[in-house]
Amino acid sequence: MLLTGERQFDSAPFDSISYDLCTRRGDVVVMSADLSKYCQVVRVKKELPEQHLDVGMAEQNLLAVAAGVAKGGLVPVATCFACYITRRAYDQLLICMGTGSGAGTNVETGGLTNIAIGFTPGITNPARIHHQAAEDLGMVRAIPNATVIDPVDPTDFRAALDIAVDLPGLTYIRGHRGNTPLILDPDKFTFELGKTYTLKAGKGIGIIASGHGTQWALETSELLSERGVDHSLLHVPTIKPVNEKEVSDFAFAHDQIVTIENHQIVTGLGSLVAEIVSDTGGGPRITRIGLANRWAPGGTLAYIRAQLGLDAEVLASRLAGLAS
Amino acid sequence: MRRNQSVNDLAVIAARIRRHVLEICRQRGGYAAQGVALADIAAVLYFDELRPDADGWFKDRFVLSNGHDAIMVYGALAETGHYGMDVLKTYNADGTSVDQSPIEGQLGFEITAGSLGQGPSQSAGLAWSLRRQGLDERVYCLFSDGELQEGNVWEAAMFAGHQKLDNLCFIIDNNDMQASGQVADVLAVEPVPEKFEAFGFKSRRINGTGITELLDAFEEARATKGRPYAMICDTRLWAGINCLQKALPMAHYTARTAVDWDEGLTEIGATLMELEAKRRE
Repeated sequence: MLLTGERQFDSAPFDSISYDLCTRRGDVVVMSADLSKYCQVVRVKKELPEQHLDVGMAEQNLLAVAAGVAKGGLVPVATCFACYITRRAYDQLLICMGTGSGAGTNVETGGLTNIAIGFTPGITNPARIHHQAAEDLGMVRAIPNATVIDPVDPTDFRAALDIAVDLPGLTYIRGHRGNTPLILDPDKFTFELGKTYTLKAGKGIGIIASGHGTQWALETSELLSERGVDHSLLHVPTIKPVNEKEVSDFAFAHDQIVTIENHQIVTGLGSLVAEIVSDTGGGPRITRIGLANRWAPGGTLAYIRAQLGLDAEVLASRLAGLAS
Repeated sequence: MRRNQSVNDLAVIAARIRRHVLEICRQRGGYAAQGVALADIAAVLYFDELRPDADGWFKDRFVLSNGHDAIMVYGALAETGHYGMDVLKTYNADGTSVDQSPIEGQLGFEITAGSLGQGPSQSAGLAWSLRRQGLDERVYCLFSDGELQEGNVWEAAMFAGHQKLDNLCFIIDNNDMQASGQVADVLAVEPVPEKFEAFGFKSRRINGTGITELLDAFEEARATKGRPYAMICDTRLWAGINCLQKALPMAHYTARTAVDWDEGLTEIGATLMELEAKRRE
């Protein structure tokens, strides 16, 4: 079992993740755009100031300077809210950080490392629309050769960044901040790029989730088990490049698939799963759950989820309805 | 002066770069006017200012921000021998390895240029990165006055000034020409030197085609401590080639049939003969 089993929280996951990384790797530069405190970059800024660079409230500058930092031989880890690092500075993300490596570039193998971390993704920011980013996965997934990771908790968040600092090209990771549940057992969970993880094995409905969506799916799973609804749950932290065979094998082993994601139901995980299944053809029905062509409200996460029908009770009822 | 080139020798190199530019662009058209206007800057940069490394390349870093000006780099790197003219004559052809607006990693090109306004921030990040590692490489970034209309350029200027990046030199091709016409008519950017001064730079306006003045400005950039440097070059797109001036009042892009290329090459040939004669005196 990959889960911790206990309900524990890390109040500032990225503070220790970034500090530990910088202590181990002197060539890493954690970058901020006036949001260091709000992305929980505290110890690095205070104790390792040579490894922290704040470019001010200027996200285009953040990513273009980051690309320059990489070209000078260091490893930039640009941090900001997901909305600004993707929407506001998409061209810099794509052009400056994303065109130096991979098929169709001048550096087919290898190349410089460029990392961007988007915090408060999807509906996990209380300020509606402008601070929320429910389209980021789709935007970054569309960039050729990019690596895109949507971790569920501090354990795969930490592991993903540890791998990213040695990956060529652009890596985008969705960050976690504030009281974050410890879900995966660090002693049993080993992060591998592209790998998918079965968190519950069953039959009937196959739930596929990533990031915060996996947290919500686990809550839903408990309720479904109480109600005797058989199901499985697959956690897919790597959105790109995902192991398509693992996703396909999981999908075809179930009667139907439900995707749960902290994202629009278009262009993100649900779309990815639909693409993979349709490439094979003749697959199970796929129900995509997330934001369905609407803006989310603001407020606490519990409130926003309830308004959108993404709280565990409603999700469980929807899935039980699909099963019957 | 860093590499003891004489002014006359650099003028010969600039004329030869102009000739390469015309010979490349006469094949299928191209950004010929930009190439000839920037030939003196290219000659001074590649043959005096950038220090060679042990591997046959340059220790100092040149970042081209506006992809259209790649033709200047091609002309210069033809003269250094890094590109052969046979390869460069495929510029603008289908399937060529010589992109009209190159992407990162092609020899001579540090960044993917062409989405304008992104070179200054990247060169500032590069300068910061090199300084952080205690390296003495200098960074030069060429961009155009049209790019000054992009907000990202001013984010870069604010960052470079705040960080006191004195290993960074911006070279602004202030040619008063952009896709829709004269910069002064589309969206005025002047006074450019004063704007950079306000962002913490030392700045200087030059004409961009005088070898002695260019050498002097690069010298001043290197001697400037605690501040980045902005060299505002008031070039004109036809500089040094009269046939371009006649053919192209709007000189953003030169079609193959728009110019009498032979006339231009004859003009350059005459200039070269004069300079060679001077060298013998």
